[in-house]
Amino acid sequence: MTGAASGRQGRLAALLAAPALLLLGAVLAWPLLSAVLLSLQDVRIVGSQGAFVGSANYEKVLADPAFWRAARLSLGWVLANAVLQTALALAAALILHQGFPGVRVARTWIVLTWIVPTVVVVMIWRWLLSTSGGMINPLLVSTGLAERPVGFFATPEAAFMSLVFINSWRWFPFIALMILAGLTRIPADLHEAARVDGAGPWQRFARITWPLLAPTLAVLLVIGTLLSFNVFDIIWLLTGGGPAGSTRTLPVLIYETAFRGYRVSEAATIAVLSTLVLMAFAVLATRSLALSGADR
Amino acid sequence: MTPRLSRLIAAAAMVLPAPVLAQEAVEVTLWHMEQPPHRVARIQELIDEFNAANPDVVVRQEPQNWGEIYAKAPAAIAAGAGPDMLFAIPDFTPILKDLGALTSVEDFVSELDARHDFVDSAVEAYSYDGGVWAVPLYNMTMHLWYRPSVLEEAGVAVPTTWEEWRAAAEALTADGQFGMGLPANRHLYTDQTVYSVMLNGGAAEIYEEDGSLRFDNPETVAAYEFYQSMMPFSPPDAPSWTWGEAEACFASRSCAMILQFTVISTYETQAEGDPADLGVAPIPVREAGQEPGTIAYANAVMLLSPEDSPEREASERFIAFLLEPENYGRFLNMEPGLFMPVTADGAEAESFWSDPVVQEYRSQIEQVIANSENGKLFGFTSGRVFPAIAAISAQNVLAETLQDVVVNGRPPAEAVARGQARMEELSQ
Repeated sequence: MTGAASGRQGRLAALLAAPALLLLGAVLAWPLLSAVLLSLQDVRIVGSQGAFVGSANYEKVLADPAFWRAARLSLGWVLANAVLQTALALAAALILHQGFPGVRVARTWIVLTWIVPTVVVVMIWRWLLSTSGGMINPLLVSTGLAERPVGFFATPEAAFMSLVFINSWRWFPFIALMILAGLTRIPADLHEAARVDGAGPWQRFARITWPLLAPTLAVLLVIGTLLSFNVFDIIWLLTGGGPAGSTRTLPVLIYETAFRGYRVSEAATIAVLSTLVLMAFAVLATRSLALSGADR
Repeated sequence: MTPRLSRLIAAAAMVLPAPVLAQEAVEVTLWHMEQPPHRVARIQELIDEFNAANPDVVVRQEPQNWGEIYAKAPAAIAAGAGPDMLFAIPDFTPILKDLGALTSVEDFVSELDARHDFVDSAVEAYSYDGGVWAVPLYNMTMHLWYRPSVLEEAGVAVPTTWEEWRAAAEALTADGQFGMGLPANRHLYTDQTVYSVMLNGGAAEIYEEDGSLRFDNPETVAAYEFYQSMMPFSPPDAPSWTWGEAEACFASRSCAMILQFTVISTYETQAEGDPADLGVAPIPVREAGQEPGTIAYANAVMLLSPEDSPEREASERFIAFLLEPENYGRFLNMEPGLFMPVTADGAEAESFWSDPVVQEYRSQIEQVIANSENGKLFGFTSGRVFPAIAAISAQNVLAETLQDVVVNGRPPAEAVARGQARMEELSQ
């Protein structure tokens, strides 16, 4: 194909793709632009009008300790979920990668917690952890692990850890399946050769499985971080951001500011700042992944 | 008319849809937050009767929930997709009024008052800024619920003062049972229980007459100190409770006493359902001799259609239909024992007292009505209404202050001072 013909085809391709790209751009850009415009006004209640206030909302939000507390909690939330979900998912994927009877059924059933609607997950855990008729507290008391029923959402630390556990329980099967897909792509003869050379299970994991799985884990880390950061439903339904604001992450703060505090513009400001942080993270992570891919 | 023209008209009548030829019925939408299926079914029953008797009107209901309505209603109204009628509690109405979505219903309320005689406090909660902004529909009040047999077995009398209440809760906390289930969540339920304690401790008023806040006062601090002293006798997950958890705790016998609007339906369906062993008492007072009081929510319905529109006229007809004594009792008994009448003829209506559950629990319901005589709502007391209460209520500042005490361990006096500062910030 000549250069001119190739150029014509490229232009035609761009022309054909343009409507879809424009639509996609509008769908993505319009809400973001609306949020930015809203953040520059003083709108209190959804649907009402507000005066243009420039950067006043940004100055106010950035000077508000509640914003920085929510930001720290969001960071803690993302890290805790990343660690727990990865650990659970890796363990589950390694088990499901073995050839034991019933492995096909296990691979199917593991996704159950992921496909169950959030409201159902919340109801299940609320009931299990309740001190009035729940299953876990009587078990803890009868086995002597606790002297009296435990309030899993009663203290800031307990509530945060309970939420991380429940959220990880919900999401780890999805990550496990992604890791399992990565594991299946590792050539079996590498493990076989290492075994023949006398490498033990830990050495095979550390020298073969882990390095070859690292790119998959890196991609999952980026996706998982973005997904975890934006979790709102489980937190809101289980603790409402409490007790005493100890689980009020940025998405919860945005909701509360907009719909409980009737400060829609301030909420938009927090949303814009959060989006900028997430976009920066996504760009840096994607570049880092691309560079590491090029190195290999 | 020529035969040809007659045939043409006859053919058109067969082809064209009926509404084109007949006058179209006026459609009005009702949004309410009474989501449980049996309540939705009872409202539908009444709607069906109204629609059948009024062929020119079609009323439709769209159940919503309290958790979302504060956000959803303003957005829907701004988008021109709001309902014609929307249920309300006093602190919700100022939000829509400030948006310009409401017009005064003073004339309509006066007309209904002449016919049914509204309880004054129910109308007062919606009367400010020179208008009446919603039509009262029913009252909800909070009480102390207990099982007489449980108290008797522990040798405990029904408490009437704070001291007796704390002693009873302590005596009843044994063998896996918690003496008193009190919430400490940052939630409306906790606002309600905290305020019930406050008003029985002489801290009912959170505003001075000039509109300045008086939340930070010795009586409020004493109420928070007392509430804090009751928490050891409450289940450890109380900081995450809403109304359902309290009812479940009582129904499962994990809690000997709770503060709740009503537990009759839960007790009837999920517990033993023995009317003789369900007690309802006034909320204990700080000092013997004080008159007990309770938080009272006069629920109402706001009319959102423009004045003089067919939708407004249809909505008024539907509300008038609901308040007629033969219908009103059935409307209230969508949840027997929870919704109390706000009209004099409704309180005597045969349709109210003839319900089988009401008959079974008649003594409890009579006690609920008696307890309700001294009902108050924070921000809407003594005939003074300060609309900034909407933001304070929406942010659950009373509950937030309690969490500061119970969860953060801040001394009540300090927490109450911070609570007042927070209220001032939200009032701006």
